[in-house]
Amino acid sequence: MMRSEKMVLVGNERGIHGRVATRLAGIAASHEVRLFLCHGEDKVECSSILDVLALALARGTAIGLVAEGPQAERALAAAAEIINAQDDACHDRAG
Amino acid sequence: MTEPDKEANTPPPLRTLQGIGVSPGIVAATVVVLKRQTLRAGWYHLPADHIEKEVERFAGAVQAAGDELLQLREKLAGDLADALSIIDSHVLMLRDRMLVERTIGIIRHKNVNAEWALAQALSEIKERFDRIDDPYIRERFADIKHVADRVFGLLSGREHGLLAGEDRPVILVANDFSPEDTLRMQAGNVHGFLTEKGGITSHTAIVARSLGLPAVVGIEHATSLLATGDLIILDGGSGRIVLDPGPTEIQRVQESDRRNRLLADELDAYIHLVSETVDGFAVRLSANIETLEELPAVLRFGSEGIGLFRSELDYFNNRRPPNEEQLVTTYQQLLATMAPYPVTVRTLDVGGDKFFNRFPGNRAWLDRERNPALGLRSIRFSLYEQDMFRSQLRALFRASVHGRLRILLPLISAPAELRQVKGIVAEVLAELAAKGHFVAENVEIGMMVEVPSAVVMADVFAAEVDFFAIGTNDLIQYSLAIDRGNQYVAHLYEPFHPAVLRMIRQTVEAGHANNIPVSLCGEMAGDPLCAPVLMGMGLDELSMRPAIVPKVKRLLRHCRSSELRQIAQQVLQCGDCGQVRNLLGRELAKLYPGEYYQG
Repeated sequence: MMRSEKMVLVGNERGIHGRVATRLAGIAASHEVRLFLCHGEDKVECSSILDVLALALARGTAIGLVAEGPQAERALAAAAEIINAQDDACHDRAG
Repeated sequence: MTEPDKEANTPPPLRTLQGIGVSPGIVAATVVVLKRQTLRAGWYHLPADHIEKEVERFAGAVQAAGDELLQLREKLAGDLADALSIIDSHVLMLRDRMLVERTIGIIRHKNVNAEWALAQALSEIKERFDRIDDPYIRERFADIKHVADRVFGLLSGREHGLLAGEDRPVILVANDFSPEDTLRMQAGNVHGFLTEKGGITSHTAIVARSLGLPAVVGIEHATSLLATGDLIILDGGSGRIVLDPGPTEIQRVQESDRRNRLLADELDAYIHLVSETVDGFAVRLSANIETLEELPAVLRFGSEGIGLFRSELDYFNNRRPPNEEQLVTTYQQLLATMAPYPVTVRTLDVGGDKFFNRFPGNRAWLDRERNPALGLRSIRFSLYEQDMFRSQLRALFRASVHGRLRILLPLISAPAELRQVKGIVAEVLAELAAKGHFVAENVEIGMMVEVPSAVVMADVFAAEVDFFAIGTNDLIQYSLAIDRGNQYVAHLYEPFHPAVLRMIRQTVEAGHANNIPVSLCGEMAGDPLCAPVLMGMGLDELSMRPAIVPKVKRLLRHCRSSELRQIAQQVLQCGDCGQVRNLLGRELAKLYPGEYYQG
């Protein structure tokens, strides 16, 4: 089975919040893959938005990203980009 | 002993509830209370052969709730991207193993009914989320609860379409609504809603504003204080709810609701007229905007300039702060479009913590501020991060040749601060001249008066700036020590507090004594009760949301300056805000019966 993994830094200023978690679940669902986040002792599957949210990953946290399945490479790249992005195209107004 | 008689003779006092207005508009309608939160999941022990049926019943409710969400998603237009993303996350939560598999597990292992099992699963999730430090993520539990409530509702057989099913006008009352609920209300005959929970920045409030649906949040115990069938008046602007209003009051609100629609057409006629009183006393009515995309609206509604351009968006739309050239482009378009009218650009007005957390590469992160409203923000931030400030000033001066520029400095609290800024301005001008850039000669530099110390020192400041702009939102917050976003104190936020009115008056007097104009930007400027008082106090310019300009102009064109001055004088003698409101309600209605009042 194809398996890829990678360390990624959380880039979003609010950490992995609802919108980021939603998009990660979307990546998992749209690829033939099982996608996991590893942080410390915890390993959660991205298909569970609640598991991902409950990790409360803040900006700057290093997390392990693991993908298993035929499309592991592609899913991993897409997920890494989402986690690493500094904003989520959300036009929250700061200031 | 005379008490009972006395009570019998005086009309009962108006019963009101005070919440936080999150979406303006006044409506009168019958209440429908949705007591979703109080729905208690009873416990039933199930016989063994019933278990799988119960699991199926639960799975069916989850499926149905998911279908509802997907249907709603399809109905929404593409421009509601924020709402769509919220729905997507709700669909995921609904199908999450922590919710679904856990509930089914509890049904199977403990032989209990689905409602009870779901409540158990939900409390386990809550426990997990309660341990999260990050408040933003912790608060997502509210979304999980909305999703679970949907399933609870379906399990108990309640028709979820209730919200849209009413054919008479209603005001919905609940502990809280989900953003989806709010979107659904648009379809039904819902004229407004109020909730026990929530704040001005909650998703539900944002959706309500975008739909123009009047809404009030943060009224504790609203679902017990109100009952289905009660007739109430809801003011989504002030956050006030009137219980058992009299028939005349109801008629007045409904009538004004009707008139508002007619008025919108009539106001078009005022767009191209001069903003002055019957006797020729002119007040400039200008617009508050934050992006060039609002310029069509500014022109459409006939503003005579930009009284406040909030310059923050250029700094937050991209991954890094804008460079000077980008800013020149923005300011140039802004000035050229509005010429010959003046454009007042407020320099960067942000909190330092927000800024640096957004662009961490820029400098080391700041410590989290304990009290951001009193911290490194606005002009203090610009003076701390001077390169960025200089770049903004250079861009402004370079664009100045394309129109009439006024530079506005926010949150000035001490003369030394102002002098420091002026020193930087002088250096920037010298630098530009050395590089051969042309700069308009008539650029004015003014300051926001939004800190009490600036009011007290207004006479000193007035000698050193070209104009004053009173920022009432912050001035009220700082002088009354009220955070309007806090549901426990928001009701104390009071524009008609005599202290606020006196500070405005003092600022106007100090400005005029030094021959500089004084403007006011802030919600007071567009408020039909406040605006006449402000004009009477002698403000030279009122700046407001573009769409309100015609309304205020129409009002102004029906007034006489002597009468406005007199009203302002009387108002300034009032000892509390209640007196002010009574006086205005009485006098304005008497003087201008044709005008008072649509809101």
